[in-house]
Amino acid sequence: MTTMIRVEGVAKTFVLHNQSGIRLPVLDNVSLVVDAGEAVVLSGPSGAGKSTLLRILYGNYRPSSGRVLVRHGGNLVDLVAAAPRAVLEVRRRTLGWVSQFLRVIPRISTLDLVRDPLLARGVGDAEATRRARDMLARMNLPESLWRLPPQTFSGGEQQRVNIARSLVDPAPVLLLDEPTASLDAVNREVVVGLVNDARANGSAIVGIFHDEAVRSRVATRLIDVTAFTPKGIAA
Amino acid sequence: MSNAALTPHSSLLSTHSPAPLLTADRVTRLYGDRIGCVDVSFSLWPGEVLGVVGESGSGKSTLLRCLSGLDRPTSGSVAFADPAGLIPDIFALDEQRRRGLMRTAWGIVHQNPRDGLRMAVSAGGNIGERLMDRGDRHYGSIREAALEWLARVEIDPARIDDRPSQFSGGMQQRLQIARVLVSGPRLVYMDEPTGGLDVSVQARLLDLLRALVRDLGLAAVIVTHDLAVARLLTDRLMVMRNGRVVEEGLTDQVLDDPQHAYTQLLTASVLAA
Amino acid sequence: MQKTVTSPLPPRDEAYNFAYLDEATKRMVRRALLKAVAVPGYQVPFGSREMPLARGWGTGGIQVTAAVIGPDDTLKVIDQGADDTTNAVSIRRFFARVAGVATTEATADATIIQTRHRIPEAPLEAGQILVYQVPQPEPLRKLESSEAETRKMHAWGDYGPMYVRLYEDIARFGHVATTYSYPVLVNGRYVMSPSPIPKFDNPKMHMSAALQLFGAGREKRIYAIPPWTEVKSLDFEDHPFEVQKWDEPCALCDAADSYLDEVITDDLGGRMFVCSDTHYCEGRRDAGHRGRLLGTDAGRALTRNEE
Repeated sequence: MTTMIRVEGVAKTFVLHNQSGIRLPVLDNVSLVVDAGEAVVLSGPSGAGKSTLLRILYGNYRPSSGRVLVRHGGNLVDLVAAAPRAVLEVRRRTLGWVSQFLRVIPRISTLDLVRDPLLARGVGDAEATRRARDMLARMNLPESLWRLPPQTFSGGEQQRVNIARSLVDPAPVLLLDEPTASLDAVNREVVVGLVNDARANGSAIVGIFHDEAVRSRVATRLIDVTAFTPKGIAA
Repeated sequence: MSNAALTPHSSLLSTHSPAPLLTADRVTRLYGDRIGCVDVSFSLWPGEVLGVVGESGSGKSTLLRCLSGLDRPTSGSVAFADPAGLIPDIFALDEQRRRGLMRTAWGIVHQNPRDGLRMAVSAGGNIGERLMDRGDRHYGSIREAALEWLARVEIDPARIDDRPSQFSGGMQQRLQIARVLVSGPRLVYMDEPTGGLDVSVQARLLDLLRALVRDLGLAAVIVTHDLAVARLLTDRLMVMRNGRVVEEGLTDQVLDDPQHAYTQLLTASVLAA
Repeated sequence: MQKTVTSPLPPRDEAYNFAYLDEATKRMVRRALLKAVAVPGYQVPFGSREMPLARGWGTGGIQVTAAVIGPDDTLKVIDQGADDTTNAVSIRRFFARVAGVATTEATADATIIQTRHRIPEAPLEAGQILVYQVPQPEPLRKLESSEAETRKMHAWGDYGPMYVRLYEDIARFGHVATTYSYPVLVNGRYVMSPSPIPKFDNPKMHMSAALQLFGAGREKRIYAIPPWTEVKSLDFEDHPFEVQKWDEPCALCDAADSYLDEVITDDLGGRMFVCSDTHYCEGRRDAGHRGRLLGTDAGRALTRNEE
């Protein structure tokens, strides 16, 4: 299979300059490969660095050393060394981030929010609308809400809007940060189905799921991040 | 993380965009012994939004004045990719040419609307001025453009003949934006665009700015001390302190994983930006 | 019967240099004039002198006239179109005394016409010089108070703000409400103030056969329009420049093509419109044109010296 993510020798130490320069080593010597069509779930106890690693894969956190290579188009791009605008370009076309939190955008209708990623990737207007509507219906969001901006919605509704937006056109590499947390059983099933569909269509997936049942239904492989805990530090 | 931020529709962020629109090379502005800004270098590509954050006195406004042609740097250069050809240094141009660029190629939205508007001239006249500057001499089409832009910045077109002094602070700011954008610049400089506005008014303005930047494929440099504004509007961030850039990078990187002591202090001192 | 309009040659007061100014000053003014003629519409600074009347009473025009007048010239002076108002009479008398030149009220007989606020109705001819008294030579002054800035604006043809002013008029009144000092573009290059003439007179500046000179004494500026120069009143394509029109012709001479002044005739709201150019009006009456009120009490009040 095609390698979509290759992490080589990544370490991450936080330095808190305003707390006497205290150093917090979180990850050391992370090396992993994720192929297209794989769903890797990160496991390990809270504080082991799952979230830190996921953010490093997105280019949100900067590793202290190492390389994070992501297949973008035909090339492997190192997110650590790439210029900011190159990272943005990789995120736009290749990297998708799905979390339970929606950063509310004022006054943009729900339908437009979900259409937006499709339009950004060059899908035609009518086609984008059709797919966005299908997606919202699949997420069990009442059609009466589609024309409204989501900031007045309930937490659960906002979360589903966000997932609809993130998975309407699954990116080649999907990073999932507990997208099913606090969803009811019905919608959790829908999300699991969407994620598995994306994988079946060739997306490479790396995720964090606390729910054992969801984890086992999504994962093709588990990676225990305690393996990356720096020596001398108790997890 | 701004994962839900609207992504640009055009391919303006694409890595194959040929050349930067704007390149600052070691821009330094000293006022006698006092430091305005020192050795600021960066490139801005079409469609990119760069934020400059820092406390007041950090040199961010000085930098903006240098970049936008208002204030000549003590040393360093500001290159601009004009459609007619690259200008290696806008300050090497004669003043006439530079002023022309300031009215067509880029625009400045001032923190205080009084610095950016003619307060004794109607809203329509304010918007139409840049068109008349460039030689438009058809009243009807100037007026049409003004009406269109008023609607676009969400000001009731019926107020086209009112003076800015009759407008609220938020409306004045939106009028300023219309006045700048009417001539179709590729680059906009904004100095604390939401400064002095109520929170609800700010949200509306930010929303408008995002939509305009996206729909028009504008590049922008936004100076602000408000990290939430920076997070919402900008792709990249430069953090300035005492006239120098102490940290720069992707906006979410700088805000979520700040490396420099000063940036850590800055991000720690606000509620979840 | 028209009275004699051209005076016999008066004796010159030998106590003064010819035309009052000393020769060096006249040369200085002439140099400024030559530059002004060479760059039509451009304001040339000059060393404005103290004159025997207050600044603001036409000292700029007088200095220009003094610099160009010769013993063989015939001078006409008008103020608001009239030959017989105080300012016109004083200036005419001044030059009769210090230059010993002939003076006239007949536009066609004059070689130099000094004017405040009007251009004569009769077309000027080649060889004639029209000298304007100018209070404020800078057409951009109301928009921009800095002289350094207005000079840059002229140098760069940066006239957008001028159009903003016209735009504001049309937006507010439906038409350009500026009726005098209406800005013009000279020779396609410089925006120029025509001095406070009514915009009715603006078209007369265009392609005039006469040389037009402008002197601003207090502001120390001279500018010029050489003969046969294009002079265009600023306007918008869809709001073309228009001159004033009146609903009725001159009450004295029936002229429908001249600039009319409104004259109040009684305390009951009575009024009439008469030519501002008094010489033009007289000429038409002599030629037999009769206005509505000619010969009535109201008309007689304005034509008394013809009775």
